Amino acid sequence: MANIFPRWSNLLPLKIAVCAGTAAAGVALAFSYYATPKTLTVGYQPSQPIPFSHKIHVDQIGLDCRYCHSFVDVAGHSNVPTGSTCWNCHQHVQRESPKLAPLHRSMDVNYPGYDGKPIEWVRVHKAPDYVYFNHSAHVNRGISCQSCHGNVNKMEVVYQAESHSMGWCLECHRAPEKNLRPLEEVYNLNYNAETYISNHPELGVKTTEDLGLKLKEEFMVKPKVTCATCHH
Amino acid sequence: MSKRILQHPAVPAGETTVAWRSAGQLEDTAEFRQWLDREFPRAAAEMTNEEDAETSRRSFLKIMGASTALAGFGMAACRRPETYIVPYTKAPEWVIPGKATYYASSMPRACGATPLVVTTFEGRPTKLAPNNLHPDAAGTDAFAQASVLDLYSPSRSRKILKDAKVAQRADLEAAIVALAADKSAKIGFLFGADDSPTRVRLTKDLAAKYASAKFYQYEALTSDSSLGDGVKLVPDFSKADRILSLDCDFAGTDSQGPVTPFFERRKPEGKGYTAKPDASKMNRLYVVEGAFTLTGGMADHRLRIAPSQVAGIAGQVARSLGVSTSAAEISDPKHLEWVKELAADLKANAGKSIVLAGSRQSATVHQLALAINLALGNIGEGKPLLAVQTETKGLGTLASLKADIDTSAVDTLVVITPSNPIYDAPADLKFADSFAKLKTSIHLGSRTDATAHAATWHIPAAHYLESWSDARTANGVYTIVQPMILPLYVDCISEVELLLALLSNDGKLLNGEGPKGAASPSYDAVRATFTALGGEGDKAWKTLLRDGFLAGSKYTATSPSAKVASLEKSAEAPTAKSLEVIFATDSSIFDGRWIDNGWLQEAPDPISKHTWDNAALIAPATAKELGIYDLLITPEPVSTVLGIESTFAKVGPDGEGENRKQPMIEVTVNGQTLEIPVLISFGQAENTIVIPLGYGQGFDKEDELKRGPKNENHVGLVGVNRGFNAYPLRTGATSYFASGATAKPTGKRYSMALTQEHSAMYGRALAREVSTMEDEEKGAFEAQLANVAKQGNDAHAPPNVYLYEPKSSATFHPGKDGKAQPLINDPLHQWGMSIDLASCMGCNACLVACQSENNIPIVGKEQVARGREMHWIRMDRYYATQKDNTFDEGNPELVPQPVACVQCESAPCETVCPVNATIHTEDGLNAMAYNRCIGTRYCANNCPYKARRFNYFDYNKRNPLIAHNLYKGPFGEQQRGEAPHLQKNPNVTVRMRGVMEKCTYCVQRLKDAVIRQKRGQKQGALEAGKPSAEFQVTKETLRIPVDSVKVACQEACPASAISFGNLLDVEKSVIGRSKRIERNYDLLNYIGTRPRTSYLARVKNPNPKMPDAPFIGKATIHMV
Repeated sequence: MANIFPRWSNLLPLKIAVCAGTAAAGVALAFSYYATPKTLTVGYQPSQPIPFSHKIHVDQIGLDCRYCHSFVDVAGHSNVPTGSTCWNCHQHVQRESPKLAPLHRSMDVNYPGYDGKPIEWVRVHKAPDYVYFNHSAHVNRGISCQSCHGNVNKMEVVYQAESHSMGWCLECHRAPEKNLRPLEEVYNLNYNAETYISNHPELGVKTTEDLGLKLKEEFMVKPKVTCATCHH
Repeated sequence: MSKRILQHPAVPAGETTVAWRSAGQLEDTAEFRQWLDREFPRAAAEMTNEEDAETSRRSFLKIMGASTALAGFGMAACRRPETYIVPYTKAPEWVIPGKATYYASSMPRACGATPLVVTTFEGRPTKLAPNNLHPDAAGTDAFAQASVLDLYSPSRSRKILKDAKVAQRADLEAAIVALAADKSAKIGFLFGADDSPTRVRLTKDLAAKYASAKFYQYEALTSDSSLGDGVKLVPDFSKADRILSLDCDFAGTDSQGPVTPFFERRKPEGKGYTAKPDASKMNRLYVVEGAFTLTGGMADHRLRIAPSQVAGIAGQVARSLGVSTSAAEISDPKHLEWVKELAADLKANAGKSIVLAGSRQSATVHQLALAINLALGNIGEGKPLLAVQTETKGLGTLASLKADIDTSAVDTLVVITPSNPIYDAPADLKFADSFAKLKTSIHLGSRTDATAHAATWHIPAAHYLESWSDARTANGVYTIVQPMILPLYVDCISEVELLLALLSNDGKLLNGEGPKGAASPSYDAVRATFTALGGEGDKAWKTLLRDGFLAGSKYTATSPSAKVASLEKSAEAPTAKSLEVIFATDSSIFDGRWIDNGWLQEAPDPISKHTWDNAALIAPATAKELGIYDLLITPEPVSTVLGIESTFAKVGPDGEGENRKQPMIEVTVNGQTLEIPVLISFGQAENTIVIPLGYGQGFDKEDELKRGPKNENHVGLVGVNRGFNAYPLRTGATSYFASGATAKPTGKRYSMALTQEHSAMYGRALAREVSTMEDEEKGAFEAQLANVAKQGNDAHAPPNVYLYEPKSSATFHPGKDGKAQPLINDPLHQWGMSIDLASCMGCNACLVACQSENNIPIVGKEQVARGREMHWIRMDRYYATQKDNTFDEGNPELVPQPVACVQCESAPCETVCPVNATIHTEDGLNAMAYNRCIGTRYCANNCPYKARRFNYFDYNKRNPLIAHNLYKGPFGEQQRGEAPHLQKNPNVTVRMRGVMEKCTYCVQRLKDAVIRQKRGQKQGALEAGKPSAEFQVTKETLRIPVDSVKVACQEACPASAISFGNLLDVEKSVIGRSKRIERNYDLLNYIGTRPRTSYLARVKNPNPKMPDAPFIGKATIHMV
């Protein structure tokens, strides 16, 4: 009986195995890189009902974060401003701008399309349901908005600057000194540690790292890393 | 493969106490053995052999492969779904998104309002806690805790009905306009027994407007005061050294007044454990009752006797105290001696004692109790009892209402009572017939019950958390009822709103919100009432709204005189031929009004441990006499395997075994017959049958006994097919108990969901008890206290040796020396708890509070029967008796013991978790990361306390109450987005299928408290006025104030049995002190788990002269 399989087929299983192995490894590598929050969520920049510019409001006008996000230092949730917060100024300023139509619909009783319904802002940063995150616990202990949300004061349209993955959270929980600031600088988005040190020679620190370590010591910052810190 | 079982050491020789949980355990039946040895009840779906396991593993892989392939199509999951943040347009005052706001309010009740603090999240009330500022604050009971669920109940009435059909609101409004215009209307009002000053005021206005208006009061299980119109006795337990309860469950369903002071005096160390143990500071409780109640379980001396005999005992006490009575002397020599010593003790403590008569007992007993109290000088200002005049007076009874309807003195009736008179009125009154004669009847209620269907109009009632009103607590403190939210459904109307509409000239029915967002008219009415009491002006009003009560307000005292009727002949004692039926108040659904509350239905009855149904309870001796004892302790032989009869239940339609069917008996009394399943009840008087009331209100086609469809729409999914209705057996004269009953087995059986053998714990000296009385073997009180920590084998258990030093990973927070620190290393907070068995009565308040705080689902009767209830707190209830109890061998002690996760420092569960889903926190909690859990259940298997619960199904997402719904998987009906989900605590994960869960000391509350404390750092830095980098933070800045955080169970406890706090506060805190007293012991100490929750031994304070004293105070529970 003739051989059904020619001679070259002897190596075929090996070749297939090598190819399949390489392909599998490639898929695994690609997955571990592309399917992580670093790739999937950083840079998420949805368009908002009103093209609100943080750059204008914070950088040019100089509004404090807490003017709009007024409960960030008392509550876990950092609130998005109510319609009336916007309307306080915008009933006088830029009133006729067509970009503010949704605000008029929600607040301006004389506006033709007035319905009094709130503006639906598109959520940019989202912690999963099983994560408990508390803003006030961070901003009151010297972690700036900037550490997690990036240079919001430079953003025309808000996007997600950091991955907000669990590994990223833990990085800081293990070494908070890299992000700690004096409490009065938490909302200063133009903060520069070196300038602060040179303005405050009485602190006796030389490098930014020393400042972080000093703050960690003096504030008794000892972030926890066990599961129940965020999951309960 | 053999299962490795930890062999608990044997019970020490010479132990005289016999302890058991259930009749099955006492008799060591096969079914009981099954619960003991197996993880699941027999015939619960499980893989029985290797072959099975292999097939299902393969089919699992097949299905997984297919679904993974399918998931690849469409790529729908690749795009991030857009979600929105929707802020308020105009923010309401005080609302901070994500932060709870607390309001003072109260729950109106017949026994006096329960003052509450309501937690709301963005306007949603989610949790109730007692208002501890209030002078009448006494924790909350299970009913108060569960009442928040009623607000969101899917079966809540929400539509106006006319003749039981959905009607237009305009038609109702027209009817009310006509009624308001007709000042000569022969109108009657039927109120509940709660006391509301605004209602009292409006009642006067109504009487002025309608010349022939009549007012009545009715609640099914509250009898009329026999002391005088609106007169009642309110106890002040802090002043009472001796308490005699004549069939009065004052700590349970028959509340007489604030009960916390009673429990504070059960602790030998006093409130807060501040003093040295002193037996003379404790009170002593004598209870005379038919079947175990929570109060009876707390008794130092308990006499079990049929309710008909209580009057005889009361008469004998009166006679011994020299109160003139013509009562015949009781004949039983044991009882005579018991009463003699009791009377001597009362006399020795005259002016410092209380005699309470059960509110459902006869007027004779009440008059005797009053005469005894008067003779002892117990009544008056500064005395333990105060007679007060309430404002609910001049009201007719249901019987007088019926007479007025029959004589046409009333032809229009407004029914506002929370009871359900068509269903629960005494059978011989035939109230329904008279009710049908009414020209118009308007029923205001939160359920579409029998009365709602019988009435011309049914108006859905606003919940007390949705309406403005006011109430009085037991001592008459004026207390506000303020709304947390507008009525969820537009047609829900409150009592005050309805009365105001009838009072107005135009009859306009305004509810919820007035025009242009103005307050409801009931706001003005309540405020007008308050102005007359608390003065004009915003300041007083705002203080009322903030504190919840008007300081200094109370009922006026009165001085009743006793009118002791002659008691020529004591009633015949019941016999096996002529049984006595006790129509009991149900601990889960009260008189039937809570039948649609899932939390209460699933909370096991504190005594019998059954859920979702009622059953007739009988004493073991009576069961033997009736010839049903053997039926009761053996499970039903139903299935045959290969012709061999098996004693285990057959497989039900869901592919799982149907567990435990109880035999049924037929009870005949008052010419009526009821077929009802029967359970053994220890400590019950012989020849009595206890039947809890309130069940059997509606049935659908799924009913096990094919009783339906009948009254299907009277109840919702929770209340349908539940139990057996005993109201038809009850007449006006026998509203509490009826004599001359007979009972016989019928051969039928009915499934019961009993939890008493679920998650059973084993070990030595689980619950420990000592006595203040000197004992020959155990020594004096001091010696017994010193021995608490050595009970069981804790005296000679070898110290635990750790093979490996407990360590954490060296990568995290190395210490100053660079070495790894111990894992539990938080220098600020180390949490701990203690549970005082001396004051715990086992009432379920903590269990329901935990359910409401921690988003614990209900699982339904079938799942409970399979041992899958999710309660994080398991309320164990043990019976214990002495082998040589010669006084009454059928009267064991009842020992409750709540067990939740004890947060072991060396937790057995943590070491077996393959995915590190349960690990320790730095502050000493044994935490659960639900999102990590893969559901191996190894942890639950390794837990010696059996404190872990597993989500076998998606109980939160899929409604477990729809028949077979859970077994349909993704095709089952979902309950997402329904109203009950509005009750969920937003700070606690809602768990899904396949996840293990358990108590974590309300970690969300601890987090909140700690984070709030951290904010103080900022305040400090700002006040210091220098750069914050120069501001030193101390431990005191970051540590929460002593005793400032309360966990849900602790907060709810009416007995203040649970202490919780930071162990690092040492003696400054209640928890620190409680851990240092001699009564403190660890549960299963000898296995070396080092639990953070410890228990304080129970203390009995018997009277050494009493004949039963030698058998009391030794109920240390061994379960081996």
